[in-house]
Amino acid sequence: MEKSAKSKKRLQTAKELPLIIAEYYQECHEAKSKGKPVGWMPPMNGAIELFYAMDLQPVFPENWSPVCAAFGLTRQNFEVSEGMGYSRDLCGYLRNIIGYVHGMMGEEGNPLGGLPEPDLMLPPNGGCAPVMKIFQALLRRFPAAKAFKGDIPQVAIENISRYHVDYAVSEMKRLIAFLEEATGRRLDMDRLRETVILSDRACELWDEIMAFRRYIPTPISASEIGIMFVMVTRQGTQIAVDYLTRVRDELKERAEGGTGVIENEKVRLFWDNIPLWYNMGLFNYFEKMGGVMVAETYSAAWSLRLDVSNPLEAIAMKTLISYPLVSCVSIRKRKEMVLKACREYSIDGAILHRNKSCVPITLGQMDIKRELEAQGVPSLIIDADHMDERNFSVAQFQTRADAFMEMLLARKGLL
Amino acid sequence: MASGPAGPFEDTAEGRDEKLRELASQGSRLIGYFCTYTPVELIHASGFIPVRIMGDADVVEKAYTLVPDFVCPYVRKAVEKGLSGTYECLTGIVQGYTCDVTCGLVNIWEENIGGEVFHLLSLPYLDQPSSRSFLRSGLLELVRELDRAGGSFSMKRLEEALDLYASIRSLMGELYTLRYNRCLPLSAGEFLSVVQAGFITPPERYYPMLLELKKALPGNRSSRGDGIPVLVSGSLIEDGKTLDIIEQSGGLVVADDLCTGLRSFEPADGKGSDPIDRLIDRTMSRFPCPTRSSAEERLDRIMHLKEISGAQAVVFLFQKFCTPHLADHPFLNEGLRRMNVPSIMVEMEEAGINEGQMRTRLEGFFEMIRG
Repeated sequence: MEKSAKSKKRLQTAKELPLIIAEYYQECHEAKSKGKPVGWMPPMNGAIELFYAMDLQPVFPENWSPVCAAFGLTRQNFEVSEGMGYSRDLCGYLRNIIGYVHGMMGEEGNPLGGLPEPDLMLPPNGGCAPVMKIFQALLRRFPAAKAFKGDIPQVAIENISRYHVDYAVSEMKRLIAFLEEATGRRLDMDRLRETVILSDRACELWDEIMAFRRYIPTPISASEIGIMFVMVTRQGTQIAVDYLTRVRDELKERAEGGTGVIENEKVRLFWDNIPLWYNMGLFNYFEKMGGVMVAETYSAAWSLRLDVSNPLEAIAMKTLISYPLVSCVSIRKRKEMVLKACREYSIDGAILHRNKSCVPITLGQMDIKRELEAQGVPSLIIDADHMDERNFSVAQFQTRADAFMEMLLARKGLL
Repeated sequence: MASGPAGPFEDTAEGRDEKLRELASQGSRLIGYFCTYTPVELIHASGFIPVRIMGDADVVEKAYTLVPDFVCPYVRKAVEKGLSGTYECLTGIVQGYTCDVTCGLVNIWEENIGGEVFHLLSLPYLDQPSSRSFLRSGLLELVRELDRAGGSFSMKRLEEALDLYASIRSLMGELYTLRYNRCLPLSAGEFLSVVQAGFITPPERYYPMLLELKKALPGNRSSRGDGIPVLVSGSLIEDGKTLDIIEQSGGLVVADDLCTGLRSFEPADGKGSDPIDRLIDRTMSRFPCPTRSSAEERLDRIMHLKEISGAQAVVFLFQKFCTPHLADHPFLNEGLRRMNVPSIMVEMEEAGINEGQMRTRLEGFFEMIRG
């Protein structure tokens, strides 16, 4: 296995993804060329529904980093940002995007045409520190973009009170006023409601898709996690709903026909933390020994529902909830989620990616590990980095992964 | 016992673990915090003593069973001490949300070290009426939580706590002015002890200590050497020796942008129609920390401090892996360079600093400035 390997996709619908990705970026460039305002924003945020409802073009610089990793461009971007003085100890998303906007952006040969320049920018006051610092740096790079700085309360999901929601809603109202002023477009509340209905439908489909992971053999694995792209970039559109419906239907057929992602599924695995975007093939590594990476933590960020009767509050709540679902704001909640997934998906063993590029998700992993072991689920820690392959040793991974798999197979009497 | 005007502070800072146990054994109830954005006045007004958790463990071993080795050494050391039982005397932890790591640490502490109260206060970043109203709700929620743990909050007690802490901060402000004017006969390490003692001493005892210190100071220009005047910027510095090395290598610390320094004290007080409003006003007017502001805002403040203190250079002293500081550094470094202000960055690891290397780099840095 090489350091940068692509994952094997067994679903027909997963094979459609390159086209969906290409169409999204094409739409971003067309928007720019036609004068439709392009706004850069963080993911897992209710602003996407506002943008689609107002016919504005959302762009997600954070999502661009996995694209760069998939195209092998991170090293080049890191060289630029590290040359500017950004430490290698900083999050890889931060170093990649800063390197990109100060380096190859706008040059010939960018994959998918690259990112279009922003007319609008939504730097968040909330979420994780690297995301806040990314947007502060992006504002410096694109000073002409009209910026809206909005607060996002940082609170554990189980501690959300009325006053957190009210503040998040008031910030959403400020954002709407800003967008109307900056673009000259009015938000039609009926359009927003339709968008939120589509967004919620996507979440519902997402949960239905995740539920197929209960099947033995599993018809979907972490290798197909790329389908998440539509949740990041297309939430609130018919495109996401249609695509996820096709994914769901394909999974239903496979599940009912007993078709697993591999022929002889022996061991079911769980991946905690962000994948290695430059080496998605890692998820397939276990398959030679009958191991399937059935599920992973990251997809949980979209396991939520929106109250369509109150669209504004729904997108405010989404903004409040999404980040804590996959961070250390509430380790208790995250632990519960991992344990629930392991129970529901009949997981035999968990791989805990100790991710140098993401402290908020990595913190609390040791508590999760202890709890998993108490519930009879062995786990293995892998030291790596979701963006920077220099912090990942394939040989070390293989040695440890092989030993772990042997142990799991022996436990099941399959060795 | 340490001698000199800073002696009592050095003794307190040195024996901080013993002091905490002593306070607890005398019946005081202690609430720990990691970051100075925690509303200490409100904790005090609820009948608890707020104490800042320090991470001065010699060796980190047990902490690695809970946290990775790429979080800052302060957090690793604090966890080590927590697991070693040093903070068993705490009733709990209250933390204002600043950096991701200390936020996660509150959770880890609750799961593994224990206590009665664990509260993470979400702080607004923007200063607007809705943000102040949001913070008010958050503070009142904290009051209720502390009351449930046996606290006895009253607005009158909060008013008194605000007065007391404002007096302390004003006195510290006076010491800073003396420092800017080269009239403070304390080394940078001694001054750090003065600050650190305040993190664990009940404010009603700390204030008279500061008054005594002020009385003992001569008030005229001190003869602390002719080092290059520098401003030190970073987060926490736990070991005064780190600062002393700067002064022994040819520098003279005259100003700081540290959370074990000026950022704890500015502004001294806030304004408001009731005590909660006063507390909110101060929180919203805090000297900017990189977790809560942009590098642009910080550069302006650093340049202002440079002007009023006469600092000629900046020494960035970072906890290794500290995202907010590391992310701001390229902009600050470049901004200072454009204004012909030399700067150097040193990272502190678990074992503190690499002393020999730091001395060599600093000596070279100061020689370069002297020309």
